[in-house]
Amino acid sequence: MFLEARGIIKAFGSFRAVDGADLDVTEGEIVGLIGPNGAGKSTFFNCLAGDTQPTAGTIRFLDRDVTNATPEDHARFGLARTFQVPVTFEDMSVADNVMVGAFLRHRARAAARRVAEEVLDFTGLSALADTPARSLGTPGRKRLEIARALATEPRLLLLDEALAGLTPAEIRLAIELVRRIKARGITIVIVEHIMEVILSLAERAVVFHQGKVIAQGAPRAVVDDPAVVSAYLGHHMKRVRV
Amino acid sequence: MILLQVIVSGLLMGSVYALFSSGLTLIWGMMNVVNFAHGDFVMLAMYVAFFAFTLLKVGPLLFVPLAAALLFMLGVVVYLGLVRHVVRGPPLAQILGTFGLALVLRYAAFWAFTANFVSLPDNLVGGTFDIGGLRIEASRLLGGVLALVITIGMHLILTRTALGSRLLAVSEDRSAAMLMGIRPDRMQAIAWGFGAASTGIAGALIALFFYISPTVGESLALVAFVVVCLGGFGSVPGALIAGLAIGVIEALSGYLIGAVYKDVLVYSLFLIVLWVRPRGLMGTS
Amino acid sequence: MKHWPIALAGFVAIAAWPLLVHDVFLQRVGALVLLAAISASAWNLIGGYAGQVSVGHSIYFGIGAYAALTLYTELGWPPIAGAPIGMVVSMLIAVVIGTPTFRLRGHYFSMATIAAAELARILASNWPLVGAAVGLMGPPRPRSVADLSFISPVPYHYLFLAALVALLGLTWAMQRSRMGYYLAAIRGGDRAASSLGVPVLRYKLYALLLSAAFTSLAGSLYAVMVGFIDPESALGILISVKMVIVAALGGAGTLFGPLVGAIILVPLEETTNALYGGSGTGITFIIYGAIIVFVARFQPGGIAEIWRKLTERRPTRVS
Repeated sequence: MFLEARGIIKAFGSFRAVDGADLDVTEGEIVGLIGPNGAGKSTFFNCLAGDTQPTAGTIRFLDRDVTNATPEDHARFGLARTFQVPVTFEDMSVADNVMVGAFLRHRARAAARRVAEEVLDFTGLSALADTPARSLGTPGRKRLEIARALATEPRLLLLDEALAGLTPAEIRLAIELVRRIKARGITIVIVEHIMEVILSLAERAVVFHQGKVIAQGAPRAVVDDPAVVSAYLGHHMKRVRV
Repeated sequence: MILLQVIVSGLLMGSVYALFSSGLTLIWGMMNVVNFAHGDFVMLAMYVAFFAFTLLKVGPLLFVPLAAALLFMLGVVVYLGLVRHVVRGPPLAQILGTFGLALVLRYAAFWAFTANFVSLPDNLVGGTFDIGGLRIEASRLLGGVLALVITIGMHLILTRTALGSRLLAVSEDRSAAMLMGIRPDRMQAIAWGFGAASTGIAGALIALFFYISPTVGESLALVAFVVVCLGGFGSVPGALIAGLAIGVIEALSGYLIGAVYKDVLVYSLFLIVLWVRPRGLMGTS
Repeated sequence: MKHWPIALAGFVAIAAWPLLVHDVFLQRVGALVLLAAISASAWNLIGGYAGQVSVGHSIYFGIGAYAALTLYTELGWPPIAGAPIGMVVSMLIAVVIGTPTFRLRGHYFSMATIAAAELARILASNWPLVGAAVGLMGPPRPRSVADLSFISPVPYHYLFLAALVALLGLTWAMQRSRMGYYLAAIRGGDRAASSLGVPVLRYKLYALLLSAAFTSLAGSLYAVMVGFIDPESALGILISVKMVIVAALGGAGTLFGPLVGAIILVPLEETTNALYGGSGTGITFIIYGAIIVFVARFQPGGIAEIWRKLTERRPTRVS
């Protein structure tokens, strides 16, 4: 199995944000993790990325146990990620941000530079290569985070709400980018709030509710699943009452 | 008996440590900023007490509140004029901001008050009590007990009052607090005021029985760092227990292995705590 | 690097300084500028490039200074022979201070550095081998050239210049290598850096080791030139403070920032000291404190940031 998470539990005190979730990802697919706010999908995602260690359960990537591996090791094994709130290196130029990623597999500056240039070109950031990262707006930052992650030459890319906060036109561009990343042979797991994105992008949707996976399958079918509908509706009802 | 004597005087000193350390821990826990000038605030308060007594002829009943009020104002001014701006900058700016302030205060004091040690007269607050064979100077007793009471009072303000819960709300989640109509800027200014006022009271109390010099703040700042790290960041009860513990450790080591090495012991303890329990002995994760 | 002509002109001016001025005071100031630039550039490796602000670098400076003169007083060696030993000891101490504190976020490293430096100062003040509170003297008169004991500041000027050029050359190479990018990423944010495979702890430690070694070298050079050290002049908190201020004023995390800071601050300090004598030190540090408050409040990037804004066209806000 490409990526395999089994019985993941993440507890904060007595509260279980993730409560026994499983996930299988096969190479080459795009998987969308969805669910109402507080469903545990982001926490689960952070366990996959190595940012937090699950309280229980195992995660295997390419037949290697990565459950307790550091974020550095995740990157080295070919598991790259972006952040929900972009954390670009503000003082560095766009190209240098990408160089940091490229140095993971290329020790020499010239080689890292070549990789970075190719990635900048692929992500459409070439024109901004020399601008400081701090002058980018939200869409630029999100794109830069993707570029930086791609420069580490990952097998699997974990995208944390990479499209949140974008305008519809920007979302179309971003969707197109994600499709091209998949075409490069990179597997993608994406956490997303916007249902339309999952519907048009993901080949498989996995629905989280109260820390558990309550449904998975083709996005269209999953959206009509009664359990999913009630999870979302119940959530909305609660919000209305508040 | 002597040992008990040493422990009691350590506890009395420790409760003053606890008082000014809780000011540091309040600011630190609330906005993750370390006030490197904290010890120099204590130094200023000691001079306020000294000059209030020598120039204005007022006693502790007046100069303690006076020092608290002046330092409260200083804290608010420092927050509004400096800290509010540097927290938005890089980490280097945050450290340099209060560190530079410490230098200015320390050397301005050098320049204005000279390097000579001064002190208030010993008999300012009565003589020495004899409690079951324990001899305790009235000034230390007053300082220690008052500091203890005020530290506990500060904890109660933070946990039991509306102001306290508003301060806490800002430290937990700034934007959520704003949605609730709390103005974080004002709350943080108040926190700096309180933090500095705690040094005001503590400084005025220490001045009753401790020498006063421009550099006294340096070692007191280190004591406060040790206390805060031991007690856990943002925890006033933690600072209280850790402050008392440091007071006793200092007193005992001063008595048993010599005054020179009491600082050595305290600083080593600090480094060891950073090694083994970085979140403090009583801190939560 | 578009500014090589300016850097070259600056280098020529610095190299020619002691030949252009004949006044011993000015020659001495020149040598002290270079010495301050060495220690601030060394601090810059960890405090500037890696963004881990040490305010206790006096510990490494002191180890270098004490290593030099202890070897002379105990074994009769030329003081400069203590430099490599000081560098090795400093690197060991750096591992002890850095390893635990780099795991932690925030200000822990800064505070641990202050405590460690104060600890070192108190211990040195009470250790008879290193002269306790009195301190140590170097050779009263040179026994051979190896003692590097000269009356004129000029030989020291070139000795320090050579050390500074070596350090800045190394820093320049580091800045362009993977390590330079990794340190900049660490300064930008630990979490993002480690997500890209940057071994954060290891690189912070590399930077601290390099920094400690060169700070120690600066301490040894100081002891060689001045020929007398005591706990205050070699391990005092103001030694650490000076490194931070010099680097921050010029521009922390830039190649020439510390040198620029030294060119501004050292003449200022020497002049106030000359004018006011002993009390000048106090005034110097009021000014120093005011400068760093000002830098922190209004221009955290230092002079280098102003320079960058002047020479580059304004970055326009883009998507």
